[in-house]
Amino acid sequence: MTARAERVLSLKETAALVRDGMIVGLSGFSYQNPPMAIVRAIARRGVKNLTLVSGPTSGLETDLLIGAGCVRRVVTAGVVFERVAAVAPAFRRAAERGDLDVWECDECIWHLALKAAAWGMPHVLWRGGVGTSLPELNSDLKEVMEEGRRYLKVPPVQPDVVFLHAAEADPFGNVRVAREAYLGRTFSESALALACRGPVVATVERIVTNAEVAGSPERTIVRGALVVETPWGAHPGGVSGRYVPDLPHYREYAAAGAASLRGDPVPYARYLESHVYGTEGHDAYRRSIGAQRLDALRTSRA
Amino acid sequence: MSEKRVAPASGPTTPPRDVARLLTCVVARELRDGEVVAFGLNAELLLAAALLAQRLHAPNLRIRHGLRIERGHELSPSAWTEERASRSHEVIEYLEAHDAILDVANRSSPMRFCDVFFVGGMQIDREGSANLIGIRGKDGRMTIRGPGSIGTTSIGTLARHVILFSDEHTTRRLVETVDYVSVPGWRRRAAAGLEGGPSLCITPLAVLDFADGRMRLRSVHAHATEEDVRRRTGFPLPPGPVRTTPPPTPAEVEALSVVDPKGRLDTVDLCRDGGPR
Repeated sequence: MTARAERVLSLKETAALVRDGMIVGLSGFSYQNPPMAIVRAIARRGVKNLTLVSGPTSGLETDLLIGAGCVRRVVTAGVVFERVAAVAPAFRRAAERGDLDVWECDECIWHLALKAAAWGMPHVLWRGGVGTSLPELNSDLKEVMEEGRRYLKVPPVQPDVVFLHAAEADPFGNVRVAREAYLGRTFSESALALACRGPVVATVERIVTNAEVAGSPERTIVRGALVVETPWGAHPGGVSGRYVPDLPHYREYAAAGAASLRGDPVPYARYLESHVYGTEGHDAYRRSIGAQRLDALRTSRA
Repeated sequence: MSEKRVAPASGPTTPPRDVARLLTCVVARELRDGEVVAFGLNAELLLAAALLAQRLHAPNLRIRHGLRIERGHELSPSAWTEERASRSHEVIEYLEAHDAILDVANRSSPMRFCDVFFVGGMQIDREGSANLIGIRGKDGRMTIRGPGSIGTTSIGTLARHVILFSDEHTTRRLVETVDYVSVPGWRRRAAAGLEGGPSLCITPLAVLDFADGRMRLRSVHAHATEEDVRRRTGFPLPPGPVRTTPPPTPAEVEALSVVDPKGRLDTVDLCRDGGPR
């Protein structure tokens, strides 16, 4: 009998799946579970003209790739850092300069576009968003009449590859959430994975045995993923049940981005140099942040 | 006999830090027993209002806050503070998945997403449309990029009861016509075949309601003046006698001390004086 195939790869190998012009799905919700280690690895590769499908409301994973010049278009309901920045700075700057196309949607329409892809539908009709600016701003989001009522005709959005970050997975690609959740358990991982036409990559805090995962199947959220063990892989974002977001780091990033908006590109370039280009890989990134600072972010129950 | 409370006359009498408490009471009074209320993550004031309503008159109000259903008795730390330990499973129920927001389209199910929804924005206009997309420059192009419509568009279109909430009261926020529409107001809804429209617009200075799909003054908070409110509104408000917003009642004050024992409402993002002129 041949052995069951393990699906464990390195960060570098999975970042190499991304090529210029691809549609890349990124899971996460605001500060929670952004796949930051893989995002930094993609930025280091210098790919161009990506379409990001992130969110439904996205944050730093989207903003950093925009700021690193990798993105041409975003499909997201918003790019925000809650109280730290009402609008994420690189997103704002690129959109205002006309360097970025934004598919204007809200969280419901974002989900429906992914469901249309998952279900193989040419479109899904939805009543939310009639009477708004969305049809005028998106040429492929038309208003139509059906049985005397107006609907938006939401087209499918199908990522070529999806990246997510989670607490644990086994070597066979079963990805699961932490037992102790913090501000939510799931962050659109399966919504993106089910819509994806290609590989789904899960960076995880740690790889556990298949026996452990099989022991509590209700915690499994994605199956068939490629797995990369990447401790602190969401930093400066948080991971539900593991660690909280590093808000001072977000503020540092937001300040650098705000300087760019005022016409001073130096602080943002310096941020990218010290946290993205200047660190060779994720281990070097972790060392640059420092074990003491990271440990202080752990959730007390974990 | 209990001492009678007299509403203060118009004028800057309320200490600015109490504005958040007043607005919490104003919002709580709009929430009904048995309803489901929903709002986003960075919304401590609205959460405090919902908890207050639960204590006072709406014990069966369900609170949908971000990805969870809140069951606590006091205002928990803001969604993203370092005070991580105080959140526990005992008081929080998580949504199975974020796409539960799509359930907003069926208003009748006992598992419906919400009845009442709060909408804010970069701009709110006379008919109650809200804009989170951006601001147009003189040439008609988008010159200021907003955050994006987040969860507002569909829920703000399909929920039974929409209330506008603004953390500032300025002519840049309250405009004649929004530059882009994230959530449609009264006339735009009618044109799209949707009934009704938002019921109120609550600001740090006043409460506005709608008559014939146009905003009008319902009441002015005690620390503001009617003249100032009119000057800070980017469209004319119909004339007429204007009441003072009823101040917190003794019962509300007492319940607020339970809901917010640590004074978190003092630190919420709110332009207590209305914001820049």
